[in-house]
Amino acid sequence: MERREFLKVCGSFASLTLLSPALLKESFASQSNEFKKYKKAILLNKDGNPIKPEDIKVGKQYLFFYPYVSTPAFLINLGKEVKPVEVKLSDGSKYLWPGGVGPQKSIVAFCAICPHQLSYPTPDYSFINYYPSDKKSGVVKRGNIIQCCAHLSVFDPEKGGVVIDGPAEYPLLTIVLSYEDGKLYAVGTLGKELFRDFFDAYRSDLKKMYKSFRKAKKKVDKSVVLGVEEYAKEIIFC
Amino acid sequence: MSLNRREIFKLAGFGLAISAMSLPSITYATKTADRILPPSKGKRVVIVGGGWAGVTAAKYLKKEIPGVDVVLIEQRKMFMSCPISNVWLGGLVDFEFLIHDFLTPAAKYGYTFINATVTGIDRDKRKVYTDQGYVDYDYLILAPGIRYNYDAWFHGDKDMARYTQTHYPSAFIPGSEHLRLKKKVDNFEEGTFVLVVPPPPHRCPPAPYERAAMIAHVFRQNEVKGRLIILDPKPEIKPKGPGFRMAYEQLYLDIVEYVPNAKIKEVDPVKKVIKTTAGDFKFDDANLNPPHQAADLAWEAGLVNPKTGWCDVDPVTLQSKVDPRVFVAGDANSVKGFPKSGDMAHNQTKFMLVKAIKAMIEGKDPLEYVKAPTNTCYSMVNGDPQEAIVINVLYDIDKQKRMPVKRKVNVVNERSTKLALATFEWAKALYRDMFT
Repeated sequence: MERREFLKVCGSFASLTLLSPALLKESFASQSNEFKKYKKAILLNKDGNPIKPEDIKVGKQYLFFYPYVSTPAFLINLGKEVKPVEVKLSDGSKYLWPGGVGPQKSIVAFCAICPHQLSYPTPDYSFINYYPSDKKSGVVKRGNIIQCCAHLSVFDPEKGGVVIDGPAEYPLLTIVLSYEDGKLYAVGTLGKELFRDFFDAYRSDLKKMYKSFRKAKKKVDKSVVLGVEEYAKEIIFC
Repeated sequence: MSLNRREIFKLAGFGLAISAMSLPSITYATKTADRILPPSKGKRVVIVGGGWAGVTAAKYLKKEIPGVDVVLIEQRKMFMSCPISNVWLGGLVDFEFLIHDFLTPAAKYGYTFINATVTGIDRDKRKVYTDQGYVDYDYLILAPGIRYNYDAWFHGDKDMARYTQTHYPSAFIPGSEHLRLKKKVDNFEEGTFVLVVPPPPHRCPPAPYERAAMIAHVFRQNEVKGRLIILDPKPEIKPKGPGFRMAYEQLYLDIVEYVPNAKIKEVDPVKKVIKTTAGDFKFDDANLNPPHQAADLAWEAGLVNPKTGWCDVDPVTLQSKVDPRVFVAGDANSVKGFPKSGDMAHNQTKFMLVKAIKAMIEGKDPLEYVKAPTNTCYSMVNGDPQEAIVINVLYDIDKQKRMPVKRKVNVVNERSTKLALATFEWAKALYRDMFT
């Protein structure tokens, strides 16, 4: 089977397996270049209970940390069914992005580290943010995007986080979610990972924040979901 | 005997070696005649100039083509950033913010960093000569930056040029000039301070206007009894004109006077008088910015079009039109529609030049590899509170015409504190890319 066909098959499995978590793991695990399985982590609300899809408001941006305790990810309810799409990388490779999860298949998650030059939300600032359709970016004059204000890379959360504009070479890394018995889990990543570069670039910052660099690289098996405004003191919309 | 420029340069290089041998220091002669590195087993790309383009080229060549031997030659001991230097001039960031080391990325990405001064380039033999010896190359990337064209003002009077550079430094080339300019701005107490905007094209188009805003901010803080006069040869401020105008009018009305259409007719740095097409101006102190051209090294290597003062290159590969083995990156080249900025130098090198060299080494068509760059430029216009404006230019590559074309220009002229914070993140992210 050719790689392309193989990926298509895996992709088809992926959309099917949103209903079947066991099969999801098995099918994605075969996409060694794009899908990477991590510890399965249940997403929790601030009270420590499993977060419900209805708790995730449409148009609001949330953060959780996955797969490492220090690597933030966006959780966004796009308010409508988000269908799987094929995502092409600049190196010519492709993968099938599984689309949204949840009862309406409207919830998506992406790593919140900009694939251009690694800007990410910190407790002080969030330069990379989701702009809902009614809150357009002042610079690029459009909404329903994720944009990094450092160099104005713009990503499409409805289309697998692909680059719409700007200098980023890769789409946002997808955090693969699974929806099981009314609960949301993060199970792995899909796309081009830059965690090694991230840890390298922010080694000293992470060391200060998490007391040791080793602790910053600890993988999670549960993750609390917060509104971005609850995590970062200042959200930089531009 | 009539010699062309290239032959003269080759002879000059030879002359250097001979004259070095006649000096008492034999060590020096031995050094210059030595090969610094053994011949490369594979392809070697030598980069001359460790500015924004050169440092980017070194990293991304190693990332894109790991087998290639990459050598970066730079004469400075440390990197100092020209972008953000106006913000430093305004006292909004420490000097350390601008300073970076060349060694960390060299160690991390596996390229050779040579801290040496280039003394000559023999393009026929494909050798770069330095004060420490020579290096052979398969491809040469010249990223030498700019030089000041004081001849446009002083018509060959080198003493006057030197006097002006010492007393009223331009500070568009990082180093002592910036430190001296900051002292002048910080110590200015009263009178007229003139800032001359160089004619386009010059390094960092919005920089003179941002600099004016930052100087005005310092004057306000220091309760200076005086004026800052901006002499601009252009009819209006470009780019981000409305944003700068609003800042001058709303924040610095009592300090800044903007004079358009002020083309320089004569500069007398001794009598402190500037004659322009918009009138004559006396000054007490000044930031005198002459026109810019490609740096000396590009002229000496015979790569500059004397009609423009810049290096003609293929607009999608940045390959020199004079020598296919040479690429010219960053401010020294001339590509229609590309501003001479740090972000553009970084992006054109990363997305066009490096990918073109990769294609050539692999025997493929560069047009299939190169990507259109972007250019994002923040300008700080207020120091208290810190506020900035921004322009973002997107390009496409027209493969038929084999040239980049502007696709979209996004501008925010309404200054904000959020854009000021983004200004710092803009810089940190680029420094992170190049130096960590």
